[in-house]
Amino acid sequence: MRDSRRRLLWLPVIVVSFALVAAACGGDEDASTPAAAPDTGSSDAAPATTAAATAEEETATAEEEMASVSGEVNISGSSTVEPISIRVAELFEDVAPDVSVTVDGPGTGDGFKLFCAGETDISDASRQIKDSEKEDCFANGITNIVELKVGVDGIAVMTNANNGAVECLSFHQLFDLIGPNGEGASTWAEASAGLPDAPLDIFGPGEESGTFDSFIEIVLEDLADEAGVDATTRTDYSPSGDDNVILQGIQSSDTSLGWVGFAFAVNASGVKLLEVDGGDGCVTPTPDTIASNEYPISRDLWIYVNADAAAANPALVAYVDFYVSDALSQAVSEVGYVPLTDAAHAETADRWHSRSLIS
Amino acid sequence: MISRLSDEKSRAAIAASIERRRVDARGLLFRTVLQACLLLTLALLAVLLITVAFDSTDQLGARFWDFLGGTLRSQSGDEQLGVHQAIYGSMWIAIIVALLAFPIGIGAAVYLEEYAPRNRFTSFIEVNIRNLAGVPSIVYGLLGLALLLNGQIFGLDRLTGGRSTLSGGITLAILVLPIVVITSGEAFRAVPTALREGAYGVGATKWEMIRTQVLPYAAPGILTGTLLSMARAIGEAAPLILVGAVTGRLGDNPGLFDLGALDERFTALPIVITSWTQQSGRDAGFATAAAAAIVVLLVFVLMMNSAAIGLRNRFEKKRG
Repeated sequence: MRDSRRRLLWLPVIVVSFALVAAACGGDEDASTPAAAPDTGSSDAAPATTAAATAEEETATAEEEMASVSGEVNISGSSTVEPISIRVAELFEDVAPDVSVTVDGPGTGDGFKLFCAGETDISDASRQIKDSEKEDCFANGITNIVELKVGVDGIAVMTNANNGAVECLSFHQLFDLIGPNGEGASTWAEASAGLPDAPLDIFGPGEESGTFDSFIEIVLEDLADEAGVDATTRTDYSPSGDDNVILQGIQSSDTSLGWVGFAFAVNASGVKLLEVDGGDGCVTPTPDTIASNEYPISRDLWIYVNADAAAANPALVAYVDFYVSDALSQAVSEVGYVPLTDAAHAETADRWHSRSLIS
Repeated sequence: MISRLSDEKSRAAIAASIERRRVDARGLLFRTVLQACLLLTLALLAVLLITVAFDSTDQLGARFWDFLGGTLRSQSGDEQLGVHQAIYGSMWIAIIVALLAFPIGIGAAVYLEEYAPRNRFTSFIEVNIRNLAGVPSIVYGLLGLALLLNGQIFGLDRLTGGRSTLSGGITLAILVLPIVVITSGEAFRAVPTALREGAYGVGATKWEMIRTQVLPYAAPGILTGTLLSMARAIGEAAPLILVGAVTGRLGDNPGLFDLGALDERFTALPIVITSWTQQSGRDAGFATAAAAAIVVLLVFVLMMNSAAIGLRNRFEKKRG
């Protein structure tokens, strides 16, 4: 009697252990299927023709046909582009409910690592692919890549709304304030002569962020080369990966300075967007000046599609078809970026449908 | 002489305190401070619970089933937003933790307490297990990343499917393993020597003694410790992010008992809470959804804890 009770105690443990082993084995089979997909594509020259054929079919594809497509799409990359890909996926869900789209945003560089290892179908990027990353991809057999521009982002330079002393900053002033030479400067005047003698509290994205990289590339790099210093920021500022934290920092100090994606700054309260002079006079950041690249700190946003994966995966084709359709402008403006001009949008759609590959 | 004097003094003091009912100021102050500590703790907890419960009514009140069945979204807090995938992730992570950490941890504790010789080496191991229990969870995330995702050892990433529920569960199982070993060890140590000697006295072998006396007697203590450690695992977000929990959008929406989805990308309740809190500036739906997800997580943990208490009471009755 006592003994049988003891045995019962261990029974569930044994049963569930078996269940786990079964699950692990089942998992093994499933895992091998997606891993095989990139291999089939990269083995020979055939995928290029398949891709072209699919493209012709797809241009004629109506939305009803999308509804019958099923499959998986894996996206990773820039946290700046992530919202666009997600919004497109949310809109796409209504058209093609059987396609499951997973989107992640670890950063542009990390995204390309996964993309070049064949783990993702699409890589979101807030800058164009670097040569080193391209070589990585090619070395791994990911040779057929379509590069598509999907929107424009501006980086806003901001101060507290109560700060009436500053209206416009030039690239030189930004370099003095935020670049490595500003290290240790605790007032605006100390960092850059001619600016007000007020405490300088700087908030910006951390090194892992695409916005950090873009700010350096667009604003600091050339001036750093001239000055003979490393192209980076000063180290004594408050970095954060969370844009809301940066905005809170700006709001917390009357003479704060910071930079963040235009999308996050434009609707924030207690924050003043500064005009920026990139050499051709002060320009206010607005959707128009950013789309036209007139505002000097603007950058294009990209997605990179694995064309071989697309040839083998109708769900991926349907998703990108939808991505470059009219839904793009809607998604881009809904998440707070600036949509492409009509001409640029047409070029993006054309690049995709003709599968123009990067080389 | 001196003692008589002090005796008289204290007697006088006692008499005075009885007669004049003098207030014991220090004692009263101490008591008040202690009460204030308790009240502060309860007040903080109450504020947290009330705010969260209040914020969550938009989701849990108005669209209860839709919220439970909905999916992880990060761009529009619309009618499809929900925690289905997060519940799937957290539930299976809890199951995997239970299946892996409990047998291994309890087994290790039985060996350490009952079989291992008492020497410097075993006490060195015990000290290290205690230290491991205090290692920050993010470090275990890094271990999971190296072991299960990058496949640096044994190619385990093929078995787990890389960034998957399975990887998350295994990582958290490793995280709670030291805690399980320690709490089970304490439970074994609390078993009265008389019980063991009694078993030996009637001719039981060591294995029979452990199986019929030590394990049943220690069962309530083991259960309490292990299930509390599981509650900790359920609340962890940092290690899960390292092993690839999805924060943005998750395509799959598996059934709760869909074993085939264990090696797919995943999310969990603490992850969606983090993600939605970060999005809360953009869409009011996310703030209420984050609060609702916290309520779901609390209910989840409460259910587990009450199961632990229920089981413990059952075992204790048996023991009695």
